[in-house]
Amino acid sequence: MTSTQNVRIPAEGAADGAVAAPSRWRSFGRTLGVVWSNGKARVGIVILALFVLVAVFAPLLAPYDPKDTSFERNLDANGAHWLGTTAAGEDVLSQLIFGAQISILVGLAAGVLSTLIAVAIGLSWGYLKGLSSEVVGFIVNLFLVIPGLPLMIVIAAYLQNGGILMIIAVIVVTGWAWGARVLRSQTQSLRSRDFVTAAQFSGERAPRIVFREILPNMTSLIVGSLFGAATAAILAEAGLEFLGLGDSSIVSWGTMLYWAQNSNALLTGQWALLFAPGLCIALLALSLTLINFGVDAVSNPRLREGKAKK
Amino acid sequence: MTSTDNTVPEPLGASAHSTGSVQATSATDNVLLDVRDLSVIYESPGAAPVQAVDHVSFSLRRGEFVGLVGESGSGKSTLGFALTRLQKPPARTNGGNIVFDGSDIRELDTEALRRQRQGGFAMVLQSGMNALNPVRTIRNHFMDIFRAHGHVAAADREARAAELVRKVELDPSVLASYPGELSGGMRQRVSIALALSLEPQLMVFDEPTTALDVLVQHAVMDTIQALQQSEGFTAILISHDLGIVLEATQRVLVMHEGRIVEDGSSRDILERPRDEYTRMLLSHYADPRAEVVELPGFPDRQSRAASGRTRAESATSEPTVVTRSVRSADSAIVVDHVSKVYPPPRRGEKPVRALDDVSFTLEPGQSLALVGASGSGKSTLAKLVTGIERPTEGAVRFGDVDVTRLRAKGLRDLRSNVQMVFQDPYAALNPLHTVEYTLSRPIRNMTDLRGDEARARLHELLETVGLTPTETFAQKLPHQLSGGQRQRVVIARALASDPQVLIADEPVSMLDVSLRAGVLALLEDLREKWGVSLLYITHDLLSARLVTDDIMVLHDGRVVERGVTADVLRNPQDDYTVRLLDAVPNPRRLRGDVA
Repeated sequence: MTSTQNVRIPAEGAADGAVAAPSRWRSFGRTLGVVWSNGKARVGIVILALFVLVAVFAPLLAPYDPKDTSFERNLDANGAHWLGTTAAGEDVLSQLIFGAQISILVGLAAGVLSTLIAVAIGLSWGYLKGLSSEVVGFIVNLFLVIPGLPLMIVIAAYLQNGGILMIIAVIVVTGWAWGARVLRSQTQSLRSRDFVTAAQFSGERAPRIVFREILPNMTSLIVGSLFGAATAAILAEAGLEFLGLGDSSIVSWGTMLYWAQNSNALLTGQWALLFAPGLCIALLALSLTLINFGVDAVSNPRLREGKAKK
Repeated sequence: MTSTDNTVPEPLGASAHSTGSVQATSATDNVLLDVRDLSVIYESPGAAPVQAVDHVSFSLRRGEFVGLVGESGSGKSTLGFALTRLQKPPARTNGGNIVFDGSDIRELDTEALRRQRQGGFAMVLQSGMNALNPVRTIRNHFMDIFRAHGHVAAADREARAAELVRKVELDPSVLASYPGELSGGMRQRVSIALALSLEPQLMVFDEPTTALDVLVQHAVMDTIQALQQSEGFTAILISHDLGIVLEATQRVLVMHEGRIVEDGSSRDILERPRDEYTRMLLSHYADPRAEVVELPGFPDRQSRAASGRTRAESATSEPTVVTRSVRSADSAIVVDHVSKVYPPPRRGEKPVRALDDVSFTLEPGQSLALVGASGSGKSTLAKLVTGIERPTEGAVRFGDVDVTRLRAKGLRDLRSNVQMVFQDPYAALNPLHTVEYTLSRPIRNMTDLRGDEARARLHELLETVGLTPTETFAQKLPHQLSGGQRQRVVIARALASDPQVLIADEPVSMLDVSLRAGVLALLEDLREKWGVSLLYITHDLLSARLVTDDIMVLHDGRVVERGVTADVLRNPQDDYTVRLLDAVPNPRRLRGDVA
């Protein structure tokens, strides 16, 4: 049988018609409520919150200084060192706890920056027509066809030992193009809506139409792409550090993996050295992906309603 | 009903539902569907529950064709979905039962439900034409159904598919086509044929023609009626349009706020409506061909025009003190031999000639109707006049400005004088901006008013369009307003720049019948009080008769007829105008036929 039913879901309009001017905060709170009501997203939020807390309170939580090399080398897990020590004699647990700071910093900074670029370029690209749109399109496509990881490696090798800022810059430069393309297609579909034409009739200029009329209608997509970009940034940071392209003197999950690999941790039976930072990277990336399930439900009410009942 | 000789219980139904038929209500085995105290509730998280259907009871005899009428939000579609067990969360049935052919369909499990779709009940949806899979041929669609239910022998399937397609007045050659190659009307016919292929005893049509063009609507409705008579299935026609339903069905249920307020034969409802609400709905129909056309809140235009169209005479009350200077329009819009050709939609096809040598002049203060079915080029014309698109040939002038040569700055200036009222009030307002923001932007961009003056102007606009108290409405978001209120906001926005010309593109077609008259009256009032000229684009001749002086009928991009509205509609010359007139649903015409 034919199936696309457009059941009229009574929108909030019917229910809270009595409510006077809803403040921005209330709608923000309602959005959070929608994300939280999604089971997967809730798990993600809890994991992410744990990591953030660990990162913020690292100096209090960590039993030792992560750069303190005064311990015995290559210790297995024991009462004093829960996850053992490294080949250089540092405490693995303390490194892990401090490493969260770098991953979350890079994830947040690179994610936000590349999303900002993606929003600026994607929205104007979607709104423009004609030659200027073609030019932007050419540049974006250029960034899309160049394979990301090799480009990252080349740039990182070129800017040797620039530290964490360099890593962020590399990730931003290579990571914005995909988001720009996604946001552009949504902008194109929104720009043909009547309310955009109506804004033109109200005498609005292009930048205002793009950023005041169109942008707010894509919030959930932008937040979604922010979480996606942050995930990619965390993974890319760990990858670059693991390859030894970052500053190997800082303590991060990527450098932990780098040093563990250098000291043949697996051969010496110290699997925790590889396993612990690897698991943390995976969990952090997973938490962001899980939160995105909830963000999807914000933009698509259909996903909120659960399974069919009799 | 005469031809109900197929009331012999069909074997299919009896075998499939052997379980729940203990309640032997078979004293009246003529009853196919019996609904008792049915209630359906919407429970969305974070919103108050809405009782969409509230203790509804009715029963259908075999072979009956019943209309279910109500305005948007009345619960008619919800009821249709509940009857066919197609409802989805957050909708939930919270009371009553639905006995179909002796068994309660609320108790069927998924598999029994699937099996009874054949020989049981089927539904044709408003968007049914979009429910066809674009990468599969129509033949595939039929074969899928035959295979799923196995009720047609493999050898007969092809012939059966061809027969079904012929029943909905299509050529069997469409079986080889893909949905994208068929028009909207053809696709809707295919989806009716697909529903028929299951040989249902009950068909529920949910606004089957609403998404179609006016002229096609009529043809599809005729097919549905003919099919119902020849096949003898029981049918429910859900529609917002009492006119269509009264023309097609024998019995009508009127729904209002989740309850059935009236249940009677079409004739009774037409001649002796008991309920206040039904009477209100009926009062909004009239024949555009009549000598005198009156709607509630709308005195006849003719009688006003007779007195030389003087404003003082037409105003019902004493001229109110207008807080702003009344300035009548002083520039005409001149469209001079305009053609518009769009590039071919697909490679190898011919370019589309949307407009072909159209000329007209919209004088200051005039109201002109631009009438035609979809594809006639009327919306293209609106785009050319407002500078959104440029004509391929010809010129468009506003006063002494050449609209076709304007760039960004010039267009902004033009739009402070030429404003547009959009068709869909649900799409024309940014859902995230308050009414105040929406209205304050054109005031800021196109007038010199700032601060308190601008605020005063905003409240004045809201008052003009009848949204009072203005302080309350200014703070509302679009989703807190009804369709009619939204359209008033759209009109207020168009008025903010104090324009000379309003272009209204089907301003009431998305609104409920009872709201239309109000919006039309507002447009008419504005034109008279403010001296705005109006280009009224529509397919609805009744509303054109109400608000315009002159009319122009467009067909395939050409003007086929023009003149004074009342004259053209009462004495149409072109065949196309006659067809448009016939497409206007009018229950009173039915009365003429029956008498």
